[in-house]
Amino acid sequence: MNPEEKDLQINPVVPENVIHNTKTIADIRSLTSSIFGIAAGILGLESYSGFIFYLLGSSIVSVLMVIFIAGGKPQNYFRGTSEIWTLEVFSGSSLSSFILTWTLFFGLLRA
Amino acid sequence: MASKALISLSILLLIHSCYSAHEHSLLTPTTTSLPLDVTIETLVSVVLLCFGIVLSNREELKPISWTVWSGVLEREKGCGQFGYLDERVGFLEIRAKRAEFAKWIKGAGEGSSSQKT
Repeated sequence: MNPEEKDLQINPVVPENVIHNTKTIADIRSLTSSIFGIAAGILGLESYSGFIFYLLGSSIVSVLMVIFIAGGKPQNYFRGTSEIWTLEVFSGSSLSSFILTWTLFFGLLRA
Repeated sequence: MASKALISLSILLLIHSCYSAHEHSLLTPTTTSLPLDVTIETLVSVVLLCFGIVLSNREELKPISWTVWSGVLEREKGCGQFGYLDERVGFLEIRAKRAEFAKWIKGAGEGSSSQKT
């Protein structure tokens, strides 16, 4: 038995709660990323500056989530310690919804 | 409640800044950049909206460790992971159950044999 399995048997986890937490974080990420897209479109950002804006916004949201939702202890709610920082930032629907609203608002306001 | 007020306020700010940016793009040549007050309004509304969304999801996460989660369940529901062990019947009439089972299995056997013939 490898150490990871042993640790899992000593401290068992609740799979439903892991799924629930991941879903909560994914919901917040997709909501906030479309709002960042709206803001980037209003500000008229182009190419790299838009993606830098998205990265900055995502890290602000991560900090807020760690402080307010996880109460400063993300290891109580997630398997990995970095999950709350990186989850759904580049994978999933968040980045694509950012680009969708970004291009939409840019086109509405500038074109 | 506070988070809902925050979300509504920041959505109003965002809509207003969006409208301002649209008017600005209509009234001025296309190459000029956005006025500073509209930029600041947009950024403030986005930051406030992030606060609102995160605060409205407060107390939403559940602890993943069984040792913590069982304690929470015991406190809030009065029955944890092994609560069913407390609610078993105290006395089981084993002879009656056995007779019932024998009747059932005999009935099932007869049923299947009658189907064969």
